[in-house]
Amino acid sequence: MDSPTTGPAAVALSRAVKTFQSPGGELVRAVDGIDLAISPGEVVAVLGPNGAGKTTCLDMLLGLTCPSAGTVAVFGASPRQAVRAGRVSAVLQTGGLLRDITVRETVQMIASTFAEHAEVEEVIDRAGLSPLARRQVSKCSGGEQQRLRFALALLPDPDLLVLDEPTAGMDVTARRQFWDTMRADSVAGRTVVFATHYLEEADAFAARIVMIAGGRIVADGPTAHIRSQATGRTVSADLPPAEAAQVLALLRSRPHVIEAATQGSRVTVTTTDSDAAARELLGELGASNLEIASGSLESAFVSITAAPDRRVRTEQEVAR
Amino acid sequence: MNATFTGLELRRVCRDYVSMFFIAVLPAFFYLIFGAAQGPSSEDAGNGNVAMYVMISMAAYGAVTATAGIGGMAAVERMQGWGRQLGLTPLPDSGYVFMKAIVAVAVAAIPITLIYLLGVLTDAEGPVGAWLLSALIVLAGAAVFALYGLVFGLALRSEAAVGAASGSLVILAFMGNIFFPLSGILLTLAKFTPLYGYVSLARYPLTEGYLFNVSDGTVTHEPLWVPVVNVSVWAVIFALLATWLVRRGRARQ
Repeated sequence: MDSPTTGPAAVALSRAVKTFQSPGGELVRAVDGIDLAISPGEVVAVLGPNGAGKTTCLDMLLGLTCPSAGTVAVFGASPRQAVRAGRVSAVLQTGGLLRDITVRETVQMIASTFAEHAEVEEVIDRAGLSPLARRQVSKCSGGEQQRLRFALALLPDPDLLVLDEPTAGMDVTARRQFWDTMRADSVAGRTVVFATHYLEEADAFAARIVMIAGGRIVADGPTAHIRSQATGRTVSADLPPAEAAQVLALLRSRPHVIEAATQGSRVTVTTTDSDAAARELLGELGASNLEIASGSLESAFVSITAAPDRRVRTEQEVAR
Repeated sequence: MNATFTGLELRRVCRDYVSMFFIAVLPAFFYLIFGAAQGPSSEDAGNGNVAMYVMISMAAYGAVTATAGIGGMAAVERMQGWGRQLGLTPLPDSGYVFMKAIVAVAVAAIPITLIYLLGVLTDAEGPVGAWLLSALIVLAGAAVFALYGLVFGLALRSEAAVGAASGSLVILAFMGNIFFPLSGILLTLAKFTPLYGYVSLARYPLTEGYLFNVSDGTVTHEPLWVPVVNVSVWAVIFALLATWLVRRGRARQ
């Protein structure tokens, strides 16, 4: 399905590693060998628990930090070159704003650093900030400040837009408003990479999900694919004692089974097809005391990110 | 040079009335109290009178308060995330530093202009050359104290840094022979403090190096190399400290 793309990838990380010296003096590998290629026009969500290495990864894309090893390229150039050319911009989780100037002044200031940029008023309007243009940044709510950062990101009219947890700390209304603004801005044509904690945001907005845990990619695939796993259910039942090992092997061979484990004589199966698993367990396998529980998005997320060697294969990888 | 960016930065500082009070109004007030309104203000001091001597001192104090504040703010702003935001623009670090330096010098010119104007109105007297040269030295020397503010900002990493930088300048101004003439052991110690060389240099066109001792009425001469060495050594110390602190900050990233 991967159409041959002309020109370089929007994002290409190759064996990227970033190590930090922790305050205690030990070496921490925040990013531990990430390979990631994103084609122009893709909308990709990066998911992962706190400290997984998401922000460090995105910082490398933006040239805000350099990899300790490996390479990072944005549209075939170094991230810093891409930033200078206005091809990549970002809404940063921790991007500071000057509190004592107005919204419009902030946009004017950042705009002035670009040789070519979108009209200041137009950008303010697109971010829905027109009524607040004369307000001091310190008097804007968190959501409003985030929309301001978004306005700044639109200034160079970038081909790649990076959003690092753009809605962190917002209430539900502000979050919805932010994504509405994003959508209204016809993201079409742009490559968007965003990190988030909210699976529903990834689900609604991204075509592809990359999950990171412990500085590595633990899952990478189309959103629908990841979601089908994420929405899997757990079926548990008591097995006849002697057959546990055999049954486990059999269950694991079934395509709908994501994971199967036993505890004593009780088996727990995570599956995308709970009906099939239940039928098999109660029928041929002679199990009893069956229970079906729907797995939450969060629990699936945790189960994927907690097992670093598990990798959901993308269609491309399967084809290879 | 980006005129929009520099202009907005300048407007921003001038809008901060509290800072402007400490940068311009307070030193001007000090000049009126200690310089213009004092009995001996019309007495001779070097090529001019005491009022002019105090005028130069207070302009110098206002100017360093301005540059130290701007240097400190710049460091704190960058660390609080504005640096990351600017990292997403084509603006290089050198361009940012250059613009901040322009802003610092422009703001330092405010107390100098105000106090020199008050000097004209209140009979500060001295040769024309001494007026111009002293103003220029005050302005140029103040740039060194942008580094002083920068060091505080980099070391303390919070808004408190700006207060600490300008607050400590009050003490240094006393110790550096700015607010009132020191003598004896205090004067000897003063020669090692950072503001001494700067203010002595600024007064040089007026005093030509002659120091009047208030307590016993004697006059001593100080060669030009003393304030020059003081300013140079302190400039190097501030620059080295700032460089070291920037490196330390980078390593933590």
